[in-house]
Amino acid sequence: MFVKQVPDVSTLEHDPSSLAPRLDRATLRLGESDIVALEAAVRIKEEFGGEVVVLSAGAELNELVLREALAAGADRCLYVSDPVLRLADSWVTSNVLSRLSKKAGDAEILFCGEASSDSGNYQLGPRLSEILSIPCVTHALKIELSGSVVRVKRALEDRVENLECDLPVIITASLELASPRLPSLLMIRAASRKPMTRVELSELGLQEDLIQPQVERLTVKLLKTSRRGVVLTGEPDACAVKLVEALEKEGVLRG
Amino acid sequence: MKRSLIVAGELEDVLGLRGVLDSVGLEYAEAFVPDRLLGERAVETLGLKKIYAVERFDEAQSEALAGALRDLVTGADTLLVLAPSRKMYRELFARVGQSLASACVNDCTNISLEEGKLVVERPTLGGGYVESLEVKRFPAFLTFQPMGRSPRRRDATSIEVVKLGAVTSGRRTPKLLSVEVAERGGAELSRAKVVVSVGRGFKKREDLRLAEELARLLGAELACSRPISSDLGWMPEDRHVGLSGRWISPQLYIAIGISGQVQHTIGVRGSKIIVAVNSDPSAPIHREADYSVTHDLYQFIPALIKALRERSPSRG
Ligand SMILES: Cc1cc2nc3c(=O)[nH]c(=O)nc-3n(C[C@H](O)[C@H](O)[C@H](O)COP(=O)(O)OP(=O)(O)OC[C@H]3O[C@@H](n4cnc5c(N)ncnc54)[C@H](O)[C@@H]3O)c2cc1C
Ligand SMILES: Nc1ncnc2c1ncn2[C@@H]1O[C@H](COP(=O)(O)O)[C@@H](O)[C@H]1O
Repeated sequence: MFVKQVPDVSTLEHDPSSLAPRLDRATLRLGESDIVALEAAVRIKEEFGGEVVVLSAGAELNELVLREALAAGADRCLYVSDPVLRLADSWVTSNVLSRLSKKAGDAEILFCGEASSDSGNYQLGPRLSEILSIPCVTHALKIELSGSVVRVKRALEDRVENLECDLPVIITASLELASPRLPSLLMIRAASRKPMTRVELSELGLQEDLIQPQVERLTVKLLKTSRRGVVLTGEPDACAVKLVEALEKEGVLRG
Repeated sequence: MKRSLIVAGELEDVLGLRGVLDSVGLEYAEAFVPDRLLGERAVETLGLKKIYAVERFDEAQSEALAGALRDLVTGADTLLVLAPSRKMYRELFARVGQSLASACVNDCTNISLEEGKLVVERPTLGGGYVESLEVKRFPAFLTFQPMGRSPRRRDATSIEVVKLGAVTSGRRTPKLLSVEVAERGGAELSRAKVVVSVGRGFKKREDLRLAEELARLLGAELACSRPISSDLGWMPEDRHVGLSGRWISPQLYIAIGISGQVQHTIGVRGSKIIVAVNSDPSAPIHREADYSVTHDLYQFIPALIKALRERSPSRG
């Protein structure tokens, strides 16, 4: 189960002059589709038994944030926190996490989100599939496990597919796969006693080129839009007439 | 001359991607496409040197397409491999990128290539920001979000065609049990001048009739926020706009009962005029709008329909 620690983009501030995000002030959280995937994993554990292990990598991971995943029902966590990963792209992240997953032991189902909430690369699942030679089903909407076979419903833009795959399998969760629960106080307390293991990057035995990014971030800037911001007031009927007049003036109505 | 490769299942995407290559002056291009595109006139005027025509492209699993694509790229001097930003291509490129130790960047919105330095832009941090990235390993696999670039038309040329048959994977892959083909609509949506878009402010599926009526009067296409298509299934997935859906730039975008989270609004930033109808004055959509209305949609949309009918009584 892969969970990424990300800045909360809904409360992120930016520097007014450079337009760069103030990541140093951001609230940290777990990725949205990662939490959905985690919920799916925990439900499978509750029905069929087994163990849910959380794996994470980042430049400066905060154990308290990772504990949220344990509070949501995972059993233990292994993570790599290393400044080198500040520059990590999907190539580096996938190489690191594939090794970390091996440290955690063989898994029947490897879950991750369809896209991370900060960078939204849509890459980890398919990349792990190549590295580990395990089939991957992306964008899962629904999963059903029976014996050593999993059935997955997934949505592409123009079709919904029903697939079947023998375990082990990698599944990436779409936001609709499960509704994450709010951890109870009891679960939060229990989480503080669950094992959390920090693994050093050097323990993973990765050659230099496997942690060398292929893509370098030059700048990040707020996307600015300027809109007219006209507020139309009055009773619905009057307001509707004003809107039609305004749109006519803009020349965006046909006829 | 270095080669570039276009990977796409639809004609409009082949044209858009050729436009992307033209914008950075890359002339030598080949295409990896379904064999059904072979007869298309528009393809013949793109100056493509070679077409790899894949049988049953649309049914192929990503592992199989990845295998075939990897074979085409390995050993050849390829600079860029481009595809549209859709789920199957993002997955395909992540796979090939990983196995060839090549860079892969999804959802690019811009590209520049100067003195061999390749820089792309893409949305990040939920869509509220744009990052600019230098790509350092080639071939670079890039998926493009809204293309909106027209290709330069050349004289029709004869193109070398390599038929690839149906590709299969030798590996253990998921078995496809059944496919429910959804109504397509995204293409019309991308071309539409006016778009009426619905969100969770609508209480029941039947109520979408209000939006349909409005769209009919305006000659508009319908779109929606992600929860409407993905959670509720009230509209086809192809009609949702935003970070994970379509990116559109109509003349007029009317958002009804949509809160306007950044993941939604990024998909409509290119619109000329945005109208927001949302009963909550603090909803973020109002800050992204040219004209904002804070009424209950159930009162306002009928009023708007009436006002439009009165403008042109012959219509509707
Ligand atoms: C990684 C990621 C990707 C995402 N990608 C997308 C995407 O591509 N597209 C997308 O749309 N979303 C996307 N989302 C989801 C997005 O964050 C929002 O949750 C979603 O857009 C909200 O949809 P909504 O506005 O319809 O619903 P809500 O947020 O529930 O808003 C409903 C709005 O309707 C208003 N309303 C209620 N009743 C009425 C009434 N009677 N009259 C008028 N107004 C009323 C309310 O005030 C409210 O503002 C993504 C999220 C994540 C995490
Ligand atoms: N650094 C990371 N640590 C743990 N999980 C990650 C990390 N990066 C990505 N993931 C997982 O991979 C998914 C897809 O991420 P991405 O490919 O970056 O869009 C996320 O939803 C997470 O589940």
